[in-house]
Formats: sequence, structure tokens, C-alpha cells
Amino acid sequence: MTDAIAPLPAAFAQLQGFTERWALPTENQRSAVRWTSSKDEFATFHEAVMPHLDAIMAALADQPIPPADPALRSLYLLACAFAEAAPHHDLYNGSAKVPFSFDAHRFEAAHGDIAY
Amino acid sequence: MSASQSSAGPTGPLGHIYRTTEQVRAELGTAPVSLDATSDPAVYKQEQDKIFRKTWLKVATGWELPNPGDWKVKEIAVAGASVIIVRGKDGVVRAFHNVCTHRGNKVIPSTGFETHGRARANVLTCRFHGWVFSTDGPLKSVPMKDAFGELDTACLGLRPIACDMWEGFVFINFDPVPAQSLADFLGDFGRLFAGYPYHESTTAFRYSTVLECNWKVALYAFSEGYHVPTIHAGSLPGFSGVEHTDFKLMGPHASSTIYGGGMDTAPSTLAFAKILHGADAHCPHPEQLPADINATRRSDFQFELPTIFPNFIIHLASGCGYPGLSFFTHQFWPLDHGRTLWEGTNYFRPAQNAAEDVAQRHVNALHRNAWLEDTATMEDTFTGIMSGVIDEMQLMDNEFMIRHAAQALDTMLSA
Repeated sequence: MTDAIAPLPAAFAQLQGFTERWALPTENQRSAVRWTSSKDEFATFHEAVMPHLDAIMAALADQPIPPADPALRSLYLLACAFAEAAPHHDLYNGSAKVPFSFDAHRFEAAHGDIAY
Repeated sequence: MSASQSSAGPTGPLGHIYRTTEQVRAELGTAPVSLDATSDPAVYKQEQDKIFRKTWLKVATGWELPNPGDWKVKEIAVAGASVIIVRGKDGVVRAFHNVCTHRGNKVIPSTGFETHGRARANVLTCRFHGWVFSTDGPLKSVPMKDAFGELDTACLGLRPIACDMWEGFVFINFDPVPAQSLADFLGDFGRLFAGYPYHESTTAFRYSTVLECNWKVALYAFSEGYHVPTIHAGSLPGFSGVEHTDFKLMGPHASSTIYGGGMDTAPSTLAFAKILHGADAHCPHPEQLPADINATRRSDFQFELPTIFPNFIIHLASGCGYPGLSFFTHQFWPLDHGRTLWEGTNYFRPAQNAAEDVAQRHVNALHRNAWLEDTATMEDTFTGIMSGVIDEMQLMDNEFMIRHAAQALDTMLSA
């Protein structure tokens, strides 16, 4: 899917500014963003989303994969990006590379180009 | 209870597979283990002929091929083979060489190491000249057949490869007449791990990479828990109370259990874990573990750590370790002496809604990151071995599966 990202549900409008960078439809696209993100970008994303995480998950709890509603699909993709990016802030001190790790670019995800 | 005080385990029908640390030391020894099998390129040729062309090898899962006509092509360099694994109209999964019996072209063109697809009308058609094979093997039609003069189509079906299933895992054996059935080959391992509903965990996050190392370097790195506090200090911070015990030996296969007191869990992970632990499909299910795995049903069970000879690992967790993670597998395919295709797959039960899906992606990312930490060592290790500076491994008790695998390999190569 390459369609433009729809606005988030009104309850999460304050996160709208993060969708263009982070709410991407495939794991490979989201990984490419993670690998080029700075410590500040991880921190800003984390600090913005974390207070709303329970509410986001509640909003997605009755939704199919991916949600049919465009706004909730945007929220789902943003949540996917947060799910994958959070460890960089929580565990790796903002490093885009997992410390002391193999080159992540060399991992091929069989599901990496499946779009939601 | 430390590993050195481990008990021999249950005394039931599989009681004979358990070993105390002292028994493992007595049976396998404690001396350093030679690295010749890893460093010597000539051994690779022996491994090809005596192991990978003679032994049962896991190549697929039944749930990858849920419908008649579903196929997968797997390139298996160590056997010099391209293999079609396909579910026939009768529901049976079979394996064939991906070789057209006309002139040898690949019946199914493949890309990369694995290619998936579905046969239309349960036939596979070679794109070169249009020879048509049934998904159960026979040659069904040949364009301009009369122009061949003579053509015994009854003898020109796809060339079969011995294929059998265990608990939904598809194994093949390149030996035209395997010395053992799959059930006999797996033996006590097959009995120990039987009964878990593997087939329910159809959501797979599969990663692969080509490592510039001998396949055994990669296998051995995933065959012990000694490295967890050091290699995984980043992705598993504060992992406490790690206990590697319940040692089990089963012919060429071995297993053991990782218990642990948990780790310093980030708030984001706690939020995602809450989603998965709140759903029956994804919450810890220690009762679903086979009876002889975590036989005493300890609450700090993390996962079972087995090595299945020669190149396959099923880490069975049943949701007890990483939140929602049912099990995960590793497989190590030699490409040549110094190159290995590693495949790692995380298996979950299907998410029922978008929130569960997001939570699974978080757990998958955590575990994938831990694999990035694991794989970081392998090329360096192989470079060090190939430098010739050391010629043997020093192995501690929790690395007994490396010692066991090395001995099983030696036994097969000297047969």
C-alpha cells in the first residue's frame, strides 16, 4: 500500500506529527527509518506515545489486522512503529544500532515487504 | 539449585534420557574438544556425503502449506539440490527434486533460498517446454508428445525425495533408501517433544542471513545459555536467576531447560505483555508443555533448549518466556565450508485483533534484536578459529550440547 496516511482518530490528534515519519506499512520500511533515527528522535517519539499506549491498544483491541477504518489503520501503523522502535529508547540508550550486534541490514525478513 | 546440583529428572518412560551434571561429565567427558571439524575444509565434503545426504532434515512446516497445491521450493546447497515440497490433492505433503525430467530445467523457477506458491489445478508445469507434472509426482502431459518417437511417461515423473512429518514439521532425507525412518531417527526426542500444539502457532516472523562462518559455529552459538548474561546484556538487561539444567541426551539429539527469574522489563514491554498475557491464546500455558519438559512445572520456566541433529533447533516456550511467544526455531544450512545460511523464526498463535498484532511485533522485535546480538559473534569466532591460534574448544557444563553435537558428528563421519 502506498496510499497517503489518513489522519489519526481525533483522540490521538496530538500524535499526528509522528505519522509521516513513522506510520509506514511494512516492517522493512519501518526498519529503514529506525536505522537512521537519532537518539533525540527515538526519545521524542517514545515520550509522545508512551503516555497514550494503553489507550492506543484499547482502541485497536476490537480492530481487524489491519483496521479497515483509515484513521485506525494509521493508528495501527504508528503503534507498529512504536512497538519496534521502543527498545532503542528503553534498552539501547537511543542508539539506532543494537549495541555490539550483527549488521541488521544483513537480516532478511521473509515478511518484511508485506504491507498492512 | 545450580546446574552442578541438577537432578536426574523424572523416572517415567523417558526417565532414561535425563542426566545430572556429573553423569554428563562422565558420559561426554570434560576434556577440550578439537576444532578440526570446524576448521578443516575437507570435513565439509564428508559432512555433505555422510550427514546431509543421509540424515533427515527439516525443510518446512505443514502449516506453511495449508492447502492442496501449496508448494515451497527450498534451495539446499549442502546437498546440491533444489527441492519442491508440495501438498498434493490428497492432502499429503511430498518432496521432489526441482528438476524437469525432460532436460533438467527447474520445474519451478526459484528466487533466493525459499520460494512459495500455489499450483493451479494441482499441477506443476515446467516453463521451459511445458511438461506438466501432478503435484503427487507423475508426468501428466508433454507438448508434442508424438514427436519424441518413444517416451515412457510412466517413468518420467518428478524424482521423489523421502519425506515424512513429525508434529507438523516436514522432514526430507536425500538417501534414496533412508537407513532409518523419521520416527526412529528422532527416537526419544520425538517422544519428548510430541504433543505440543505446534500447528496452532501459524504466525511466523522469519529472518535469515548468510554468515561467513562454518555452520557449526552458528549452531554451537545457539546451543548454550552460558552467553546470556554477557552477549544479551543489552536486550535482556538484569536477566536474573538463570539456571540451565534438566540435561537430556537422546541419541544424536540433546536438550536442556532454561529457567530464569525474569529481567528488568521496560514500561513499553510491560504494556505490550499485558495485552498478550490477557488473552488465553497467548498467555503462558505451562500445562501444554509435554509432560517431561519442565516436568515439575516450575513457575520460572523460560524455554526448552534442544539441538536436533544435525542442524535444527526448536526452542519451546509455550508463552512462558517472551510474552506470547509459543516457540522459536533456528536452522543452519551450510553453503560451503565457510558460509552458512541461518534461519530464525518466531512462532505465535494468530493475533485476534490489531492490538495483539502490535504486541506480537514488539516481542518479535525484542527477540530479533537478541538474535542480532547472537549472530554478532559468529564471524569473529570463525575468523579466530581459522587463524589457527587455537585448535580446541574449552567447554563448561552448560555447553554440554556442543560437546554432544561434536561427538555425534564425529560418530557419523567415522561410520
